[in-house]
Amino acid sequence: MKGIRGRTKGFILCIAAVLALGLTCQARLATADIKELRIGIGIDADTLNPQEQTTSLFFNMCELIYDTLFYETPEGKMEPHLATGYEVSKDGLTWTIRLRKGVKFSDGTPFDAHVMKLTFDRALDPKRRVPLRFAINMVKECIVVDDYTIQLKLKFPFAPLLGALAMSLVSPISPAAIEKYGDDVRQHPVGAGPYKLAEWVKGDRIVLVRNDNYWGPKPTVERLVFKIVPETATREAMLRAGQIDICYKPSPANVKALKADPKITVEMPLDTRTIFMGMNCQKGPTKNKLVRQAFNYAVDKKAIVKKILFDTAQPMDGPVSPLLFGYARMDHQYDYNPKKAKELLKKANFDFSRTIHMRTPNGRYLFDRQVSETVQAYLQAIGVKVELRTYDWPTYIAGLLKPLDQTELELFLLGWGPLFLDADMALYGQFTCEVNPPKGLGSSFYCNPEYDAIMKQSRLELDREKRRQLLIKASKIIWEDCPWIWLHVEKFVIAYSSKIKGLVVTPTEKFYPTYVTME
Amino acid sequence: MFQYVIKRLISTVPVLLGISLLLFVMLRMLPGDPAQVLAGQMATPEEVEVIRHQLGLDRPIHVQYALFLARLAHLDLGRSARTQNPVIQEIWARLPNTVLLAVLAISLACLFGIPAGIVAAVRPNSWIDYLVTSSALVGISMPVFWLGLMLVVVFSVLLQWLPAGGTGSWKHVVLPSLTLASFVVAFIARMTRSSMLEVLSQDYVTTARAKGLKELWVITKHALKNALIPIITVVGLQFGMLLGGAVLTETVFAWPGLGRLIVDSILARDYPMIQGTILVFGLLYILVNLVVDLIYAVVDPRIRYE
Repeated sequence: MKGIRGRTKGFILCIAAVLALGLTCQARLATADIKELRIGIGIDADTLNPQEQTTSLFFNMCELIYDTLFYETPEGKMEPHLATGYEVSKDGLTWTIRLRKGVKFSDGTPFDAHVMKLTFDRALDPKRRVPLRFAINMVKECIVVDDYTIQLKLKFPFAPLLGALAMSLVSPISPAAIEKYGDDVRQHPVGAGPYKLAEWVKGDRIVLVRNDNYWGPKPTVERLVFKIVPETATREAMLRAGQIDICYKPSPANVKALKADPKITVEMPLDTRTIFMGMNCQKGPTKNKLVRQAFNYAVDKKAIVKKILFDTAQPMDGPVSPLLFGYARMDHQYDYNPKKAKELLKKANFDFSRTIHMRTPNGRYLFDRQVSETVQAYLQAIGVKVELRTYDWPTYIAGLLKPLDQTELELFLLGWGPLFLDADMALYGQFTCEVNPPKGLGSSFYCNPEYDAIMKQSRLELDREKRRQLLIKASKIIWEDCPWIWLHVEKFVIAYSSKIKGLVVTPTEKFYPTYVTME
Repeated sequence: MFQYVIKRLISTVPVLLGISLLLFVMLRMLPGDPAQVLAGQMATPEEVEVIRHQLGLDRPIHVQYALFLARLAHLDLGRSARTQNPVIQEIWARLPNTVLLAVLAISLACLFGIPAGIVAAVRPNSWIDYLVTSSALVGISMPVFWLGLMLVVVFSVLLQWLPAGGTGSWKHVVLPSLTLASFVVAFIARMTRSSMLEVLSQDYVTTARAKGLKELWVITKHALKNALIPIITVVGLQFGMLLGGAVLTETVFAWPGLGRLIVDSILARDYPMIQGTILVFGLLYILVNLVVDLIYAVVDPRIRYE
């Protein structure tokens, strides 16, 4: 018995040794350097100053160049990066952030608390162009406590601040580079991220190379070449032909074909962006809540997602994307029911002879015009006269921002994509009185003091669970009041060569090729 | 002749000034402004105002125009609203790409279009004439966009001979120049054919033939030379257009040229960029026209400029 045991033990040990050997071999294979990864993207960057960004793709690129204080994993967990930890004072007005020691920018300049202060000072300077300043606007000032600790003094408690600290909006730029280039640092980015800019050929390509000074694990890919290929069909063709390795946002229409190709992997995690048909809550026929609810019943959102968007989206079942903290699926759903829609319209004494004006951008969101046309058709099917107009983006947004007495808005298609995984950005940024145009893009003109009170309270609430309940409470009110025809939550589609393993793809439309391996 | 050129060059100044004034006013009549586009969807009105101020858009329009002219006098087209880079620099980065593509496309088009047109005219209503005229018709009617994508599918995805897009080697320029040329070649072939047909029925051609000259000589020396004027006009016009950038072709083949730059700038209401590029287009167009006029005089000695 004992002998057998001994032999078994030996056998197991033997297998373990073989396995271990295999694993180390594999591990060595995995860390082998990848010379170059080519990524096809649709647009060129205007600036590579992180504070000046507005689009997720370039926030993404900035994170590769600059890194962030905290990093939000695809699951929504916060990992320390340039920061190592934080504490919030009891009154919620002081955030103490400890910084990582020994970090250097790619030009060798050391990173410390003074650099972070400079970063916040620049981000909060009202004379600077910082489009997303509202995300950190509650910060009154940044104080240096010691070389590796800063304190943020807030004007009022703001629980969702951590999300903003994970954005490259407050990523440090090398102070030496700021001194050397001034404002032109936007064309000459120098950061503390895993990559640094090597070449930027306008309209053609942006090339990043590995930053040897990076504090974290050494990136596996030596060069990242972002090729600017505006036409999605060409991008897809290049992926198929092996001329690029990653295709950013291929056309939804071709997702099925790409998935069928064994050489290509398609990922499409749910996004934070919701697409909706806004309705004017203070003017015109949609002022009546019953009409707004009727329109929600009149539109078959499932059919739109399936037939127009090829399943690259999912119908909304609550006022925010399911990924956001504070989301809850609403008990009552506005399932397609034209009969009920007609009944509600009758109840609301709706004037069927009046033409309702609908507007849509063209090419801003996935199949935006086509989605609007479909909504128009659904409304016409229950007897509502709808006229649809299409605009280019600058004209469109100018129209959305007119104050109530000048606005011509009745129905309008828009998308809203919170930049971090918190419902605050969606619920506060679209439905409170203070974001009614011209002050914000809450163009539905929804204004409800009861709702505002709950949202304000949620910002002060530092207990996570209590805050979640408040956000859900607000969600229920807004869901019932229907300032939007709740359409769909987009998915972020990215296609890449099946040889690539370990590409991190997030629901905030970002991807990190830093530690991928190649078969 | 020299005086004529100088006169023409001087006359470009009021033309360009006219263009700039019209453009300046028209652009600002469009709804939406660059500040709003730069600020993005989520920015507060205060942030938009900051950008508007930085771009100088909060000043009265005549002040803005005066500043623009003052800079222009120093050959400074200002800075792009989007990238804050000098407009000249942004244009300069793309101009060689556009010129390369335009020159290649027009050369290819002449190389194939003129002989095809001549052959078709010499043998009117023959099979070769039908072939030329019908392919010209296809060339003109085929959407550039579609043709480009088909070329990508065949040569890039299936055969894997050529890159689908981008720049870097001679291979990158093959597909876009073929695509562009296909459209222009059709124009040139049709124009050559009709012009040649007209000339070939002239008495002096009959005389040349009666003298016993070789047919090749009659066609090239006597007919073609006289038929060239309208062909040169078409080539000049097309070349001028190509220099203005070929948006669709550039988009399909990810070719960083001026066409895409101007469209992107219009979509972002990047006023300085739009003004700068349109002025450069205007200047190029005027220059091409001048060169065309000068070539007329070379081809037809009866044309003289005082």
